[in-house]
Amino acid sequence: MITTLLIALVVLGGSAGDVFITKGMKQLGEIQTLHPGRLLGIAGRAITNRYFLIGVLFMAISYFSFLGALRLADLSLVLPATSVSFVITTIGARLFLKEKISPSRLAGIVLVCAGVALISIPSQH
Amino acid sequence: MKTATVLIVAIVAQAAGDVFLTRGMKSMVSLDASGGGLSESISQVSHIAFQALQSPMIWIGTLLLIVFFALFSAALSWADLSFVLPATAFGYVLNVAAGYYFLNETVSPRRWAGAAIITLGVLFVSRSGARTVEAPGEELLAARGIE
Repeated sequence: MITTLLIALVVLGGSAGDVFITKGMKQLGEIQTLHPGRLLGIAGRAITNRYFLIGVLFMAISYFSFLGALRLADLSLVLPATSVSFVITTIGARLFLKEKISPSRLAGIVLVCAGVALISIPSQH
Repeated sequence: MKTATVLIVAIVAQAAGDVFLTRGMKSMVSLDASGGGLSESISQVSHIAFQALQSPMIWIGTLLLIVFFALFSAALSWADLSFVLPATAFGYVLNVAAGYYFLNETVSPRRWAGAAIITLGVLFVSRSGARTVEAPGEELLAARGIE
């Protein structure tokens, strides 16, 4: 029960973190320079952007939930379970960032999710 | 093109960072205390953390993961999250390939199948175009034509 809750926190925290970080970066606008000084300035604005910081906070929640889940369950359960975050993040991107998910993109994301699950399940022998 | 370049460098940095961190962490010595109490846990963690701070492998690995995160965030300033995130999943394929070619790991057929399915998925995603929403305040884009 607690394991399920922690895995849910890993997935939802990670997805919320990605959505907020994207919102913050979109607010800064497209990066179009390679000038080191300007890039430093952009980095400074990013780490003081409210959405970006909320995103990092969610990432931290996700990471510590991951560590907590590993204390209660095997990596062989936790890692494949988190592959579903590719789909959850896509739902978040559609709902909150208004991204358009074309059939080709959706098919790709489902394949990635399945492939990551396959890779992370350890071999029996 | 810009998106592809940034994401490829990001993915390579992440895969290399993971290798360095793994090597660094595996070379550490843990205390033999096996009690599950809070004070044992704290002393165990601080013992590992102290070693980690002195390990060049850990520093290089951490630096590479910071590079990954900076490039990942940079790409999100113009590209869709639902494009960038699945694209970075190609890092899993790199990890499997690196394990096979450079570390002589045996890779099970199921892991090869997983790598193939991820590659197919990333190809599908990459065909869908990197951007479906406009970043605000980017009239410039309209002027020079969107890629």
